[in-house]
Amino acid sequence: MQQLMLRYPTGKVALSGVTLDIHQGQFVYLIGESGAGKSSLMKMLYGGVRPSSGQLRVQQIDMREAGEARIREIRQRTGIIFQDHKLLFARTVFENVALPLRVQGWKTERLIPRVRKVLEYVGLADRLWSYPEALSGGEQQRVAIARAMTANPSIIIADEPTGNLDIETASRVLDYLMDLNRQGTTVIMATHDLHLLESHPGRVIQLHAGSLAGGDL
Amino acid sequence: MKRNSTPELIPDKVNPRLPGGFNVPPFGIQQTLAVIIVCIALWAVGAIWLGVQAASQWVGGWQDDIHIHVYLDSSNASQEPELRRALEAIPQISALRKISPEEAARWMQEWLDNAGLNQKELVNRLPITFELSLNDEQSEFLFDDIRDVATRHGGAVNESEVDMAQAHQWIAQAEYLAWFASLVLALAMALIISNTLRMMLLARADEIHLMRLMGAKEWFVRMPFILEGMLLGAVAGIAAWILLWPLLLGTGEWLEMLQVDLKMWVLLLPLLFGGALVGAFGALVATARVDSGEQAG
Repeated sequence: MQQLMLRYPTGKVALSGVTLDIHQGQFVYLIGESGAGKSSLMKMLYGGVRPSSGQLRVQQIDMREAGEARIREIRQRTGIIFQDHKLLFARTVFENVALPLRVQGWKTERLIPRVRKVLEYVGLADRLWSYPEALSGGEQQRVAIARAMTANPSIIIADEPTGNLDIETASRVLDYLMDLNRQGTTVIMATHDLHLLESHPGRVIQLHAGSLAGGDL
Repeated sequence: MKRNSTPELIPDKVNPRLPGGFNVPPFGIQQTLAVIIVCIALWAVGAIWLGVQAASQWVGGWQDDIHIHVYLDSSNASQEPELRRALEAIPQISALRKISPEEAARWMQEWLDNAGLNQKELVNRLPITFELSLNDEQSEFLFDDIRDVATRHGGAVNESEVDMAQAHQWIAQAEYLAWFASLVLALAMALIISNTLRMMLLARADEIHLMRLMGAKEWFVRMPFILEGMLLGAVAGIAAWILLWPLLLGTGEWLEMLQVDLKMWVLLLPLLFGGALVGAFGALVATARVDSGEQAG
């Protein structure tokens, strides 16, 4: 991204003059105070909002010029994890985790082994047919990780995935993300939990008031 | 319990319901209420068209047998040949026949038989009568032409018969009103289905938002709701058709007396496909502005 700027219709400038490169396979932390522009930057990475000016290329696609079909392509190759995990509580763990592949047209018979496999990876294989409300906060976030990785994305965007978790559970969530990163997935994670940066080191990008603060740390 | 090709993977009491695509959302109380309301509206549409069909058959049943009679007073008897020629010149008159006094006497005898009256005196007083058979009673100026010719030669037309012969106009007006009522009811039905689906969409806003974030195509997100709308309309259409049978059976004797034989099967497909069409239209309206704030593009 080069000289990236984002101004919302309300006039608020969320990002201004952001220039940086994130290469495939990196583990990147986005840190900064609330309102620094972390979430806005992450939204731009999957086409949730379009840059007002500057250049942003995600997986060789210019996000300012990309049509709906290209944005959908990007989203199908991107796993997204939210702080509140956004699980569908009226649906089973299987249905939640299967969603990214379901939107790509996979049939139920083909989905079950794949979902079982990713749930085994996060240690929740026995919860395949449970409902999210029966799970603890940490388990719910692991389901969210399973959902993000089920379509084998080349990039995972995690917006404060440990925000609501205790230190031990947060550390375990980071273990999974680190492991996925070691398998070649680019992970971009916004966080306020600075202690995690020591236990799980990665590239740190600090934002302040919509701009890069002091470059990469 | 066997569910699919990998039954061993799905426990008995679990029924995966994956959203999107051709998977119709589960049927709930709102949808049931929508089916009932749309069914009542479609029943009304069906009843209206059954009425039009009955009226059309009833009018058609006797309209072919209608003859128009033109009378010429015996004081104007000299005009008879010219009146005959002028009437024969009207192209929509297929046949013209003068009623003989004998025929008039026979008919009056049958008519007055039970009254114990002597028809001979009445027959002698009858005017010269021409019976006209028409080949196109829907022709625009036919009755004006007949009336003009009769008046010009001192005659008169039986206006009651003219009114009866023009009954097709009432049917045409009734059909126009039936189309109008059907259109208004169709719009109301579409609105009800649209409203119901809108509630479903709001209830599933998170799911729709997530599907879009995961790169779902718009048709994939909207298709279940469009299918549901069509299904609601079609089910209501079939139910309305079934509920029209009691109406038909209840009026059976009356219809038989009028020699009307209603074809209920003719209404099945229009109600079925009309309901589905209205449902699809309602669903399109409901899903046209489903905005989750982060649509692709």
